[in-house]
Amino acid sequence: MSAAAPILELSGVTKRFGGLTAVSDVSFTVPAGELLGIIGPNGAGKTTLFNVISGYYRPEAGRIVFAGRDVTGLAPHEICRLGLTRTFQLVKPFGNLSVIDNVMIGALTRLPTVSSARLEAERVVEACGLASHAGSHARALPIGLRKRLEVARALATRPRLILLDEVMAGLNPTELGGMIELIRRLHADGLTVIVIEHIMAAMMRLARRIVVLHHGEAIAAGAPAEITQDRRVVDAYLGEEFVLAQA
Amino acid sequence: MDPTARLGPAQIGVLVPLAVATILLGGIYALISVGLTLIFGIMRVVNFAHGEFLMLGMYLAFWTFFAFNADPYFIVLVAIPLFFVVGLVVYGLVMRGVIHASHNVQIFTTVGLSTVLQNVALVAWSGDFRFVRPWHLSTVVRAGATTFNLTQVVASLIAVTLTLALVAFMKWTHAGRVMRATAQDRDAATLMGIDTDRVYRLTFAIGIAAVGAAGVLVAPLYSVYPTAGLQFVLISYVVVVLGGLGDMLGAMLGSLIVAAVEVGGSYLFGAAWKEIFYFLLFILVLVFRPAGLFGQRGAETLGV
Amino acid sequence: MTGLMRSRRGALLFFGLAALIPLVVRDAYFLDSLVLILLWGALSAAWNVAGGYAGQVSIGHASFFGIGAYSAALMVTRFGKGPWLGMLVGVVLSIGAGFIIGFLSNRLKGPYFALSTIAFSQVLLIGVSRWRGFTSGGEGIPVPFRPGFATLGLGHVGWVYMALAMALVCFAVQVYLERSRIGYQLAGVREDEDAAEALGIATRRLKVAAITLSAALTSIGGSLWAQYVGFVDPTYVFSVDLSVRFALNTIIGGMGTALGPFLGSILITSLETYLRATFAGVKAGFTGIYLIIYGTALILVVRFVPEGLAGITTRLRRAHA
Repeated sequence: MSAAAPILELSGVTKRFGGLTAVSDVSFTVPAGELLGIIGPNGAGKTTLFNVISGYYRPEAGRIVFAGRDVTGLAPHEICRLGLTRTFQLVKPFGNLSVIDNVMIGALTRLPTVSSARLEAERVVEACGLASHAGSHARALPIGLRKRLEVARALATRPRLILLDEVMAGLNPTELGGMIELIRRLHADGLTVIVIEHIMAAMMRLARRIVVLHHGEAIAAGAPAEITQDRRVVDAYLGEEFVLAQA
Repeated sequence: MDPTARLGPAQIGVLVPLAVATILLGGIYALISVGLTLIFGIMRVVNFAHGEFLMLGMYLAFWTFFAFNADPYFIVLVAIPLFFVVGLVVYGLVMRGVIHASHNVQIFTTVGLSTVLQNVALVAWSGDFRFVRPWHLSTVVRAGATTFNLTQVVASLIAVTLTLALVAFMKWTHAGRVMRATAQDRDAATLMGIDTDRVYRLTFAIGIAAVGAAGVLVAPLYSVYPTAGLQFVLISYVVVVLGGLGDMLGAMLGSLIVAAVEVGGSYLFGAAWKEIFYFLLFILVLVFRPAGLFGQRGAETLGV
Repeated sequence: MTGLMRSRRGALLFFGLAALIPLVVRDAYFLDSLVLILLWGALSAAWNVAGGYAGQVSIGHASFFGIGAYSAALMVTRFGKGPWLGMLVGVVLSIGAGFIIGFLSNRLKGPYFALSTIAFSQVLLIGVSRWRGFTSGGEGIPVPFRPGFATLGLGHVGWVYMALAMALVCFAVQVYLERSRIGYQLAGVREDEDAAEALGIATRRLKVAAITLSAALTSIGGSLWAQYVGFVDPTYVFSVDLSVRFALNTIIGGMGTALGPFLGSILITSLETYLRATFAGVKAGFTGIYLIIYGTALILVVRFVPEGLAGITTRLRRAHA
């Protein structure tokens, strides 16, 4: 397979809630090894799209193909075992367990024994800069570290594609820099990454290609520089607190 | 074409009294359930002790009847303020501290409360079955070929009146609007300067007043004993689940459905098995409408 | 790691004492209390498998207890076979029931799950009470005492060791859940199901498995109880009070800890035994007073010491460390 072989293909994906169409006929392809950004104003359907891709919602129409396999309608855990996992915008740590145990539970998906999973978890915790908090209860962590834990736990499942849902929101500038660096490193190590971000500025620094969602539709796709010139994108973001000038 | 036109007189003769019985029973179930659904809707707590307040209402009817020969339907007027105060006290002593706690803490707090109340009744008044027999229990009201006693009819009328009054209160008064606002979004309500603690206290007191009044109303129709609340609370779980937890109008509709199942089931299979039907209904709801009627906040809250 | 060793030391002390006491003490009243402490502890530990480790908080576990109790009793009285066969049938039926309850209640959380488990125990209560021809209905069934191991007709000392064996099995299952792969995955399910799914854990299957295992153990406890007490009736064995009792012991002792259910049982069962002796003369008073205290304890413990006795000891150790 060439480097540009698609790892994820969405065709005509549609998700409705009652009368509301949250994701409408979205199609795009992600080549293996890409770092793709998905942006859009609040309520554009970004998280819903992630929930559809990762198996939490079953789409009303469309197909999702991951690594050559149709995963539409599979359960999230099945999709994870195929190598596609995600983080949650509202982080969902296993609050009463230690950081290392949180990550170890992720590692157990690939590893048969607790001892091997613990070794793997130690490695991942170290790589994500959480080593000094390994023994703390997850609920005791500040939000910046909880976002990191969210990523670490997902990484422990050894994904080929990871969906990061606003892992940069709510971070202070130092934490933000650290998170961007971590994502870049994962990408450099060959992981395919799709990042959702509400704030365009952060995304401009990170992604090579961006898909813009608005009212559930993919209204534009392209390099950050192209996106900022797109009339529809500018219109979609009008009235939003984060204006393109920040990029 | 009128659908009943094709039915013979015999069928109508059966259906009319069944329909009347359903409405009478449904009215009472509505009042029992409306407090449960109100408390859940606003406080997000399933009150597992709900049936015990009904049982206390039944004992109030029994003792006032026993001591003063008081008609239960006048005692309702006493029960409403009395149980309102009981609700305030129980809220302050028990519920207030767990309103923001986890589900498990809330479940076991109200389960513990239920155990305590049942056994206070057991110790104070023994486990004997007691009966309230006002004069109107033997006064007959005719509906077609079948008869109902006056007690049933009046109990149901009062129950429906009180339920509708509560719905109106929630819809049109300032307090009701504040309560509904809190139900929709706790945090926003707090930001808007609503004192949520007061809202919860009022909610709990109203819910308990409603079920206490219901207890007085049903006392002449059923036997009174310490665990009498259990059968009713199980019915009201089914009712509020059917109607959508927290939805008062849904609870009224759910009451009619449960009453119809009970009345129809008793007619077709005999009264001994009627409870089985609630639970089969309950399980069917669980299996077929878990998202719509139960976890309406399940998947939707995933990443919002 | 030291915490683990320490908690095992507590277990060694508790189970060791239980094993030694019958060698020294012959007082029937005392041994009876010990049997009940072990049996209720084991049953609470069985509840803990679903409620504490998997986070599936049931208030309908009396369903499985009742199935076990009735299977053993009916096997003896209706079919003239031994209680062991009845226990086996009970386990099979409880696995079936646990699977059905787990499967049907799979999507339900918190109070909804609790409500559905209550509903199931009520269905069984009504069913067994009404099916008079087979179950003797509300009158209950006296279970005859026939001496011998095959008929579970044991003396007090024999019962202590029987209950101890049951307690050790339940304890071992819990310890396994603390250390094994599946145990960690269950902890993930308990803490956050959505997150567990995202990490590749088949949450639904795991929950059903935990409930089914818990049901099977509870059923065995029910069978033993029926033989020990010698009488089963539907309003007790399927009661909500009984289901709450399993939960109460565990909550007081510490949910999700292996020794917790036994600590809770020591406290609650001793209290019950003491009150029974104290209020023996009061008409209808004993059960009532005992249950008032137990309900109050439940309210106070979940509010003020939600982590239970086991949690307090951990907290104190941390404070000293």
